Amino acid sequence: MAAWNVFDANVRLGHSGIHGELALETGDLLEEMDRLGIQRALVSHFASEEYDAEEGNNLLASECDERLTPAWAALPDPLFIQKLVTRDPQAVHLSFGVKKHNFSWAPWCSGELYEYLEENSVLALVAREDIEWDSLARLLGDYSRLQVLLLETGYRAERYLFPLFKQHPNLYIDTSTYVAHRQLESFVDKFGPMRLLFGSRLPLYTAGAALGVLATARISDDARLAIAGGNLRRLLGRKSQ
Amino acid sequence: MRSPIPVFDCHGHLGTHPDFPAWKQSAEEMLQVMDLLNVEVLAITSTRACNNNCPRGNAEVAEALQKYPHRFRGYITVNPQPPGEALRELERWSHFHHPPLIKLHPECHQYPVNGEHYRPVWDYANQTHAVVLVHTWDSDPKCGPLLLGPIAHAFPQAKIILGHSGVTWRGYEQSFAVAAEASNTFLDITGSQSHRTIIERAVARFGAHRVLFGSDMPYLEAAMVLGRLLSARISDEDKEKILRTNFASLLEEGHD
Repeated sequence: MAAWNVFDANVRLGHSGIHGELALETGDLLEEMDRLGIQRALVSHFASEEYDAEEGNNLLASECDERLTPAWAALPDPLFIQKLVTRDPQAVHLSFGVKKHNFSWAPWCSGELYEYLEENSVLALVAREDIEWDSLARLLGDYSRLQVLLLETGYRAERYLFPLFKQHPNLYIDTSTYVAHRQLESFVDKFGPMRLLFGSRLPLYTAGAALGVLATARISDDARLAIAGGNLRRLLGRKSQ
Repeated sequence: MRSPIPVFDCHGHLGTHPDFPAWKQSAEEMLQVMDLLNVEVLAITSTRACNNNCPRGNAEVAEALQKYPHRFRGYITVNPQPPGEALRELERWSHFHHPPLIKLHPECHQYPVNGEHYRPVWDYANQTHAVVLVHTWDSDPKCGPLLLGPIAHAFPQAKIILGHSGVTWRGYEQSFAVAAEASNTFLDITGSQSHRTIIERAVARFGAHRVLFGSDMPYLEAAMVLGRLLSARISDEDKEKILRTNFASLLEEGHD
């Protein structure tokens, strides 16, 4: 796996009040990444989701190793956006869910935030459970330059996903729950490898599962490298261009 | 990545499904994947039987068994409704294997696994020492793992595989509670949720001999479960039991 230069797009860090001993602090997370051959990870902080967005961001700032790239929590409030700007984000995690940060995805609420993210080529992570399909379609249509990484789509969503992929070139998904039989290679046959990003859902899931799927997909070596980490590096690299 | 030993997979299907596209799901396409991953034998259930029509679905399994007798084993899938059909199906396909393999899907058939109409099936399973794969899901009123504890005690000669082990973290905990009380139950690690450390916990608590490899092919990606198992922090001997020995032994136990 090391030769793949894996950059995991779906990892959470720190103490969790929900997931108990499955949660991992920085040292243990890096050890697990080393064990499975994962070089880098894009990480959100459990404290952001479960307690307070800014508190989680402060913890991310202090706990992220050089191998861990923060996916900062983002809220639509103007003052929060100002603080976010000072962090010079490459990626943010939008947690619309009512039991998370509880704000609307719609432009009347989050338009200013989207404009900042578009202007600065910041990757926006959104978990599937936090947005309805129709809302996602409108978001992608209204903000066509916004790069959206939809996390944890599940494996039964293709009748929603495929029309969205045809219409919206800045939509991406992670592979952590995209696990139907031969689904990954079938996606590559249809859309190519550039919009799939390896994700493990560490520390809740074992990364061995998503790595196994990627390792055995009957796709080209170039496609495997792109999914393993090349695509995420390209997306995060747009920030500095 | 490939299994280092030929796998006996306890949980597979045959056919398509209503709610998402089926990729490469013919018997021949599954055999290609089985060869890729080193799965020697896959025990299959008809998804048509689970979702719609048992007699037609079981006939499709019979066809696959006839065509590829060394690669597939066949579960007889039975629906408790209408009453009487289940036993007719068990008799009709009794030539599949000894002991028989039986699949129950209380969620799809919308009938609780401990309901009265399932009782003749459990009696049959007990008399024939059948291997019974039951779809389970966390706390489900029709197929929650905890429903299987009393059944396992009432029908001690049946070998009950807790399909998916309840799927969620809590579902696994419920399955563990059943496994702790009933030695004729087995934990199937098939499932879309790849909980970190759960295989290690199952092996530490019950021993590897109670854990079975299942892929859910061609619903789920077999390489996902294989990756989970091969990367688990358990011994190679335990992995070998889970990948092959345990299910192979269950298939053989009815033979002289």
